[in-house]
Amino acid sequence: MSTTSALKLQDLKKNFGKAEIIRGVSLDIGESERHAIIGPNGAGKSTLFNLITGRFPPTSGKVFLHGHDLAGKAPFEINRMGLSRSFQITNIFPKMTVFENVRCALLWAEGYRYSFWNIVNRASHLADATDEILAQINLTERRELPAGVLSYAEQRALEIGITIAGGADVIMLDEPTAGMSHSETDYIVDLIRKVTVGKTLIMVEHDMGVVFGLADRISVLVYGEIIATGKPEEVRANAKVQEAYLGAALEAEH
Amino acid sequence: MTDITQKSTATPAMTMGNTLPWILAAAFLFIAPIIFSSNSAITIMNQMGITMVFALAYNMLLGQGGMLSFGHAVYMGVGGFACVHVMNMTDLFEKMPLPVLPIVGGLVGMLFAIAIGSFSTRKAGTVFAMISLGVGELVAACSVIIVVFFGGEEGVSGDRTYGMPFFGIEFLRQIEVYYLTSFWLLVSALLMFLFSRTPVGRMANAVRDNPERAEFLGYSARWVRFYSFVASGFFCGIAGGLFAINFEILTEENLNLATSGGILLMTFLGGAGFFFGPVLGVVTFVLLQTVLGLQTELWALYVGALFLATVMFFPGGLSGLIMMHVTPMRLGKLNRLYVPYLKVFVPAIIGTLSLCGFIEILFHARHAALGEDEMTIFWTTFSSHAILPWIITIVVAVGGIWLAKQSAPELNEAWHDANTPDGGAR
Repeated sequence: MSTTSALKLQDLKKNFGKAEIIRGVSLDIGESERHAIIGPNGAGKSTLFNLITGRFPPTSGKVFLHGHDLAGKAPFEINRMGLSRSFQITNIFPKMTVFENVRCALLWAEGYRYSFWNIVNRASHLADATDEILAQINLTERRELPAGVLSYAEQRALEIGITIAGGADVIMLDEPTAGMSHSETDYIVDLIRKVTVGKTLIMVEHDMGVVFGLADRISVLVYGEIIATGKPEEVRANAKVQEAYLGAALEAEH
Repeated sequence: MTDITQKSTATPAMTMGNTLPWILAAAFLFIAPIIFSSNSAITIMNQMGITMVFALAYNMLLGQGGMLSFGHAVYMGVGGFACVHVMNMTDLFEKMPLPVLPIVGGLVGMLFAIAIGSFSTRKAGTVFAMISLGVGELVAACSVIIVVFFGGEEGVSGDRTYGMPFFGIEFLRQIEVYYLTSFWLLVSALLMFLFSRTPVGRMANAVRDNPERAEFLGYSARWVRFYSFVASGFFCGIAGGLFAINFEILTEENLNLATSGGILLMTFLGGAGFFFGPVLGVVTFVLLQTVLGLQTELWALYVGALFLATVMFFPGGLSGLIMMHVTPMRLGKLNRLYVPYLKVFVPAIIGTLSLCGFIEILFHARHAALGEDEMTIFWTTFSSHAILPWIITIVVAVGGIWLAKQSAPELNEAWHDANTPDGGAR
């Protein structure tokens, strides 16, 4: 593992009123690691994501991205530092075309900022970069359709496309396969593997097949605390994990 | 799917398709006063042109940025007042050709938008709407307080002809003002259209649809809104400058909520979803106002009802209604809609007109001077106190609307059919 970690959480806590949702999470995720966070419903996985990406401020504790403290930073600032995320509930621009969805995700990274002196349709390299992403997520044929009319799996693929388009090196995916059929899941897993080569991936996932197939390391979050972190086989063998989560989940799968 | 892939391969030809409407618009603006050459027609067209700039600027917020402003008249008003003051600075105005004046209005409108936008664009939705309402009221109230600038109740007036002659034109005649207005309308519309194609313009759409997602793409939703707001303020100011040139007077009426409400109504009527929507809205509204206003005192009631019908049945406005037909047209199935349209709309229009007739009779019977029983509508003269006209209008209204309703399912089916590709799997 490299000297500075891609993402480092230091005793992160979050209370909503009196309810302690995240109760002291510390985690170190290395460069180019594929890390999965699993845990039962209500364990605080999505809240943890929201704390890392600046959607909510933590009650206490710190988040470091490539060694830089993220305290007090807004989501757009964190994004500019190279972290990008997807959402559990599909979060795209439904009225805009598929092409425009991806192009919007490229604008900042391509250095356009708030410019009002460039005409985006004229920028052929922008169109090329967008088409390249569309090809990666296999949505080239849907290019001109409004994103809102795509099928669910296609919308999830688009969501991933938007997330990776800006060239962020830390990618966070919140339940990318939620609500998908088996074949759709396989398709998305291949896609994730393909588009995150060389990048750090952090994902929340319920599907154990996906988790054990993709992740280099797994953290198990239960009631706002990480009870185990390690390689898939270590986590699988961990007695506490089996008791708290995997046993029930594995039983449910069979 | 085939029509979509065809469209994406046709990108190079787009440039031609993009410039053609502008050339046509310019040509139309050029010949319009030759076709409609009466003085009153030119006056109406001037008013339309100014309001179009204003409505397009307003739609930069409403349609493209998803910001509902209830006090947008002030940005046009402030720009207009500034221009009248420039007209009155004789030393300066003597050296300034009149066609340049709207830029002053634009800059003042923009400065004002920078000041207000710095805090109002922090949030969209209700917060933004309420701040815009508050600022609108505040400035309107200021018009009687800051008399130096707003001129109190009588407003501020100037004389456009004191400006430096522009290639010998002194703008004494309405037609000269018409071409000046048309020039600025075309330039402003083109610039506003191009703005919607810039990175910040595209992100305005993104922030409108999903501000949170935009934030996670590196854009601050607040700054995107701010830039749209400032750009909108600039073009509102241009409209204000044109207003100052055309009417040579600005009063409190240019700032108040009625004016702000009017522009919202026109923009919505035309449809906020398409760039050209507000233009349609302005034409429809001004025509209704002037043509219908000559016919009946109740024109505002009918415009209000039309607005209500638009909101309830065609939230896309007139432009949305037109653009709905693009898919059937592309599928070559537009002709399947003709008969169902006739079956629904002919009785519906007759019924609605009859209902209007009934309202007119009622209004006449209640409000006409005593002893004045005779009235004329639809080229028929009769007594508003007789029972027969009442019965006829009610029966025709109910019958027409009933007939339209009977044919509605058929239209629905035809519409569905016209929007489905032949031999489609679904």
